[in-house]
Amino acid sequence: MSKYSVIGQRVRRVDGLEKVTGSAKYTFDMVLPNMLYGKILRSPYPHAKILNIDTSKAEKLVGVKAVVTGKDTPGRKQGIWRRFPELCDEEILCREKVRYIGDPVAAVAAIDEDTAEEALDLIEVEYELLPAVFDPLEAIKEEAPQIHDGVELNINVTRHIEWGDVDEAFRKCDYVREDKFRCSSQAHVCMETHDAVASFDYGGKLTVWTSTQSSYYIQRLLADILDLREGDIRVIKPPTGGAFGSKFELDSAQFCATVLSMKLCRPVKIVLNREEEFTATKRRTPMYYYVKLGAKKDGTLLAKEVRVITEGGAYTSMGATALYLTGFFSSFPYKYPNYRYDGYRVYTNTAPTSAMRGFGVPQAVFVGESQLDMLAHELGIDPIEIRRKNGMTPNHEVPGQAYIQSCGLHQCLDAIEEHIKKRGKLPPNHAIGIAAYGFMSGGIFNWFNTPYAFSAALVRISIDGKVDLFTGACDIGQGSDTTLSMICAEELGVRLDDIRIYSGDTGICPADLGAWGSRETLMNGNAVKMAAADAKRQILEFAAAKMGANIVYDLDIKDRWIHLVDRPERGLSYYDIVKEVIRGRDGEVIIGRGHYTPHRKGMISPAYSFGVQAAEVEVDPETGRYRLLNVTTAHESGTVINPVGIEGQLEGAIMMAGGYGFCEDQPMDEGKILNPSLADYKLIRSLDMPESEILGIDTYEPEGPFGAKEAGEGLTNPTAAAIGNAVYKAVGVRINDLPITPEKVFRALREKEQQGK
Amino acid sequence: MKKELRLVVNGQPYELYIDPKTLLVEVLRDHLGMTGTKRGCNSSSCGACTVILNGMAVKSCSILALQAHGGEVLTVEGLASGPELHPLQEAFLDHGAFQCGFCTPGMLMSAKALLDENPKPARQQIKEGIDGNICRCTGYNSIIRAVTAVVNGEYGVKK
Amino acid sequence: MIRDFVYLSPKMLKEALTLLSEHQDECKVIAGGQSLLVLMRQGLVSPEYLIDIKGVSELAYIKGDAKRGLRIGALTTHRTIEKSPAMKKGFSVLAEMERRVASIQTRNWGTIGGNICHGEPAGDPAPVLIALNATLSTASLEGKRDMAVQDFSVDYFETALKPDELLTEIQVPAVPPHTGTAYAKFNVIESDIATVGVAVSITLESGDGLCKDARIVLGACAPIPMRAKQAEEALRGKEITDKVLRKAGQVASEEAEPIADMVASEEYRRELVKVLVARVGKEALARARQA
Repeated sequence: MSKYSVIGQRVRRVDGLEKVTGSAKYTFDMVLPNMLYGKILRSPYPHAKILNIDTSKAEKLVGVKAVVTGKDTPGRKQGIWRRFPELCDEEILCREKVRYIGDPVAAVAAIDEDTAEEALDLIEVEYELLPAVFDPLEAIKEEAPQIHDGVELNINVTRHIEWGDVDEAFRKCDYVREDKFRCSSQAHVCMETHDAVASFDYGGKLTVWTSTQSSYYIQRLLADILDLREGDIRVIKPPTGGAFGSKFELDSAQFCATVLSMKLCRPVKIVLNREEEFTATKRRTPMYYYVKLGAKKDGTLLAKEVRVITEGGAYTSMGATALYLTGFFSSFPYKYPNYRYDGYRVYTNTAPTSAMRGFGVPQAVFVGESQLDMLAHELGIDPIEIRRKNGMTPNHEVPGQAYIQSCGLHQCLDAIEEHIKKRGKLPPNHAIGIAAYGFMSGGIFNWFNTPYAFSAALVRISIDGKVDLFTGACDIGQGSDTTLSMICAEELGVRLDDIRIYSGDTGICPADLGAWGSRETLMNGNAVKMAAADAKRQILEFAAAKMGANIVYDLDIKDRWIHLVDRPERGLSYYDIVKEVIRGRDGEVIIGRGHYTPHRKGMISPAYSFGVQAAEVEVDPETGRYRLLNVTTAHESGTVINPVGIEGQLEGAIMMAGGYGFCEDQPMDEGKILNPSLADYKLIRSLDMPESEILGIDTYEPEGPFGAKEAGEGLTNPTAAAIGNAVYKAVGVRINDLPITPEKVFRALREKEQQGK
Repeated sequence: MKKELRLVVNGQPYELYIDPKTLLVEVLRDHLGMTGTKRGCNSSSCGACTVILNGMAVKSCSILALQAHGGEVLTVEGLASGPELHPLQEAFLDHGAFQCGFCTPGMLMSAKALLDENPKPARQQIKEGIDGNICRCTGYNSIIRAVTAVVNGEYGVKK
Repeated sequence: MIRDFVYLSPKMLKEALTLLSEHQDECKVIAGGQSLLVLMRQGLVSPEYLIDIKGVSELAYIKGDAKRGLRIGALTTHRTIEKSPAMKKGFSVLAEMERRVASIQTRNWGTIGGNICHGEPAGDPAPVLIALNATLSTASLEGKRDMAVQDFSVDYFETALKPDELLTEIQVPAVPPHTGTAYAKFNVIESDIATVGVAVSITLESGDGLCKDARIVLGACAPIPMRAKQAEEALRGKEITDKVLRKAGQVASEEAEPIADMVASEEYRRELVKVLVARVGKEALARARQA
């Protein structure tokens, strides 16, 4: 019997009914009285000076109410790495220069979308073309055009991580190999595109409804860029149609809608179309990877040296974090005694690269796990064995960087090994490849420079015992509303039914940094648990007095029953007591407060989840085409709060990460994305989706609420590598440059065949 | 010049005057306020706009409303009978067959159309039935499980 | 965004042809609209008049059978063809091909006539119809024209249809004895359009005999669906073995004129032609033997 009454149960999502009935109102669906529709004019050039913008003809078009450009703003630059002003380099509405195809230059508000679109054609922009550069390896050269003033060699951010003595260690290795990899970009493809409804009222207060991962970030960034008081801005997150890392920065829909609304004192709605979504929102960071790996002949890894150059695109955005995480997690999940990483994020005249589920780590794992398999193959060591030999274990310290408490990697390796054994001998051209990974449960470094606790929550209990839970955490589909409600109910000792959650509204919810870096369950979960515990304490104080039990007894609440822990039959109804508590405090409702900020937990994260994934493929050697047959994952995420939620995250991750390995790509020509439509951007649909299996591994993370840690992003880390390793095992070719397309496999097979002759 | 459009939507007859260029999805969402049906692309690729027209699953963004004149449309809003959900909706809730929910109305309509035509589809046919609908959150397998549960009679029988 | 147009919706063929004759180049015809509306939404096509023929129900039908041949009205939907019992005997390749066209939603509303008239080089129906030696009829107020489907495609997205004409019917002749036809397309995502499409029809002298006739049609390998005539020669009169099929594939890959794009290089497309011709040929052969 489970020791928990709520968590660990298979429950229906708390926002489920509105979603399956189509009654959920997304920003996409919002219509307000007196509302106008906005459209954005974007640069058709990758790099150019703006000489002049003539909006007069557009303004005269019947139905157009306002046209704005960068001149209608305070002219500030903003960026999400607020702690470092030099990295706040994006104006959004460009004033002097455009830096990528899609960079906004003007916006129109009109009575309907068609009129707004027509007006865009009437805006005349005079550009002076500048030489542009698209590849970071070119942009880093002396002769390359400078994209941002004062940034030499277009080097936006650098990162260095080091421990031990890598050079010395390589000398001691029996075997050293060096490899190059190229990791591609990827589009988030949220089903709901970026959108916002901004309403600035005559009293100077701004309300923005928007599809976002962090209403607090949007509130703060709008305050920064528009010189408004944070408290005069209210950002509300309606049900959000996906985000995956693309929606926690201030975007053009939010900003332009706001600027237009401020000019008119009317609500303005902007919805990006799918083409804008592909070309003018942020995307996964493409990376050039140079890795050197050294081991003893028995497979003990001694040293790893990593050099990464990332294609930054036109602005910093969250690319600095991706640069850091890719470097840190390149050391995962193994105990390297010596390690060195140097990362360079280089500006290019392409759409900015930023955060996408996995945050630089799918790239790190694709490289690391591919190379490790190559090394294992050369040394004649089984892929599972080499991982076992070097894998992290609980209570491991990554020197100077992080402390890993719970770690179930070895159980995951065992489970996958078992799975592979069960599959038995496979036919020719058919094989299983594996990849191991570890990922963070939220980040520690305060690059946003928030003065607030990273997570906070408030619980309010009224006379009928119903619990209102207020949290800034954002449910973007991953189910945080449900998971946090479950944590609240479990801690308070009531049922999931008793909780009503209000989330992602800066006007009524305490700030939370948002849904990124897989932080909500652990960080906001801790805050929610604390708030619930606070409320519970107040209830139990009263109940203890009322029951007058001997001092040796503890009280607790379970399933709406307040009772003595050792004598559960002795107790009182939660509902009855709540009424009396409120009466006893002069009619004041019960309020519980909670917050969480990781302190002294290293530099990266308070906890890490681990896993091992096995991908089974069948290759058609004549064409190079392969089918993903099955992806089985052993993932440990501490205590499982919301099992349906985790399964959903895993299967969804397979679709996304599998796509990263198999088919998703954004080919470019002179900075222009060639496939900005869902007809041309290839992604996995139901007929392409492999069978998926989850092997649950039991662990407990002391830092997390009820022992839980992340299960959202880590799952996107291994699939590309597992696919690559599987293809290699099946037909003997290695593709070091994502995605692993049939044509690449075919060419590699042909080359292999010719070399064999 | 506006044209008359007569349409029955979720059992309710409507009479509208619309610009001929109006798409069926625009009539549903903008004229009739039924925002359950979504739009996710401009290339008829994503299926978020799927509704059932004259018994067939169609992409409402790719049909001129006037082509549906005199026809019958079923949208996600017409699945439940008051508070009583359709078996597919119940199954979706139990199987976590949605996360962000944006593709869900279209997905439900594709699934319903599939089962209306063939109450006992094989797994491969279920996959084909929803292949026109992109989901970025679930990885499809939970949706297939939900539909399979309905096929297996776990949620009673309903038209 | 879609620009305004004058909307006309004839219910009878004669009415439609009259309107077409009146407006010719100023108008566009819409049937299912599954291709046209995408172009109109993106502002690439903006006709002054739109003639909606979806309601001309007299053009939606499937008549005939394996013995007499099929006559398919131009406004028959893909899905109707896919599910039609008339496809079961002898024309199963048509149903199989339709099942792979786009998605069910598209097939429910899009028509085979609309597809053929759109002239997409990677389209699925045209190569199969050509392999089946199909013909088609067009009509205008002036009268009727008949031609081989093969002659209908002229260039990328361009057909032999005159501005005052409508495609009215597709005729698929009765299947000759000992004939088998198969189709396959290569793509990475199952429901994608063809990177390369191959339809092969093989007629044997007798149940087990030499190849009397062969038709090899390549899709997405040229501006129009193309007959790989030299590859056909490599099969005609021969006993078809795996080796012979591979040779035909090799010849077809050299004959093809594929382009390079972001999906595949020219070289890879040729390679796919080589492999697919051999595989589809083998399937066609097996069907011919069973027929």
